[in-house]
Amino acid sequence: MSILDHAELENELRKIANYIVTLRREIAVLQANEMHMKKIPAAGQELAAVVNSTEGATNDIMAIAEKVLSADSSDPTAYKEFVEKEMMALFETCAFQDLTGQRISRVVKTLEHIEARVSRFATYTGVEDDPGFLSEQEAADAARRRDLLLNGPSIADDGNTQPMIDKLLATLRNS
Amino acid sequence: MAADVGMPILVVDDYKTMIRIIRNLLKQLGFEDVDEAADGTEALGKLRGKKYGLVISDWNMEPMTGYELLREVRADPSLSKTPFIMVTAESKTENVVAAKRAGVNNYIVKPFNAATLKNKIDSVFTA
Repeated sequence: MSILDHAELENELRKIANYIVTLRREIAVLQANEMHMKKIPAAGQELAAVVNSTEGATNDIMAIAEKVLSADSSDPTAYKEFVEKEMMALFETCAFQDLTGQRISRVVKTLEHIEARVSRFATYTGVEDDPGFLSEQEAADAARRRDLLLNGPSIADDGNTQPMIDKLLATLRNS
Repeated sequence: MAADVGMPILVVDDYKTMIRIIRNLLKQLGFEDVDEAADGTEALGKLRGKKYGLVISDWNMEPMTGYELLREVRADPSLSKTPFIMVTAESKTENVVAAKRAGVNNYIVKPFNAATLKNKIDSVFTA
């Protein structure tokens, strides 16, 4: 091996060592352990609590509506008193929105925290996305969503409104 | 021909809350005979055991979606004429077109109100 080859090799090894140091620092800054052990589970718990409280409140509101709809209205005074009492219960039930709003804000903050770190990691390491799937299950889920058109609720102008759907159906009926 | 308020209706949705909402709206419209199923598989079993005048189904359910249920219903000679309304949050054009091609009678996007439900049921039976 010539002196020049030796110097080039040393230079390359130094670059690799520096890259590894940078990578280790970026992985540490990513706080992957904190993400998957604390932040993501906590966000999951917040969302589960939102689902539970909205479901509970919806059921309470529907129960109140069902009671009012089936109430005996033959005595107007008693009926008015009953409806007013149920409407107060309705207002109280709607207080769930304050708590769910706070919980969702915390989840949004967690997503922003993850986004900032992942974005920084991708920039510093220069990695490119692999279009493959992490597991067979993930691939099967994606195929099911694609084949059965499971797009989920639309955001903003992504989907059609009812009048647009009615128009589309009329066009398809006539074609 | 107006919808017969005495006809049995099968509501298919994996969210009990949504079934309760639709059941209450149908009750207000005069339909009292309402059964429920939590997905397409359960719905198919019920459809093969009782004659329903109308199916109101969600799209996104597991294991069998409303879209698969619709195709199964239209492929079964004993069920193929059953009126079928899709009530779903799936509002993309490809969903509406696929449902129409599969034989859906009407399509309601969530969230919806009682007037829309009434209007769509009426139009199925007056078409």
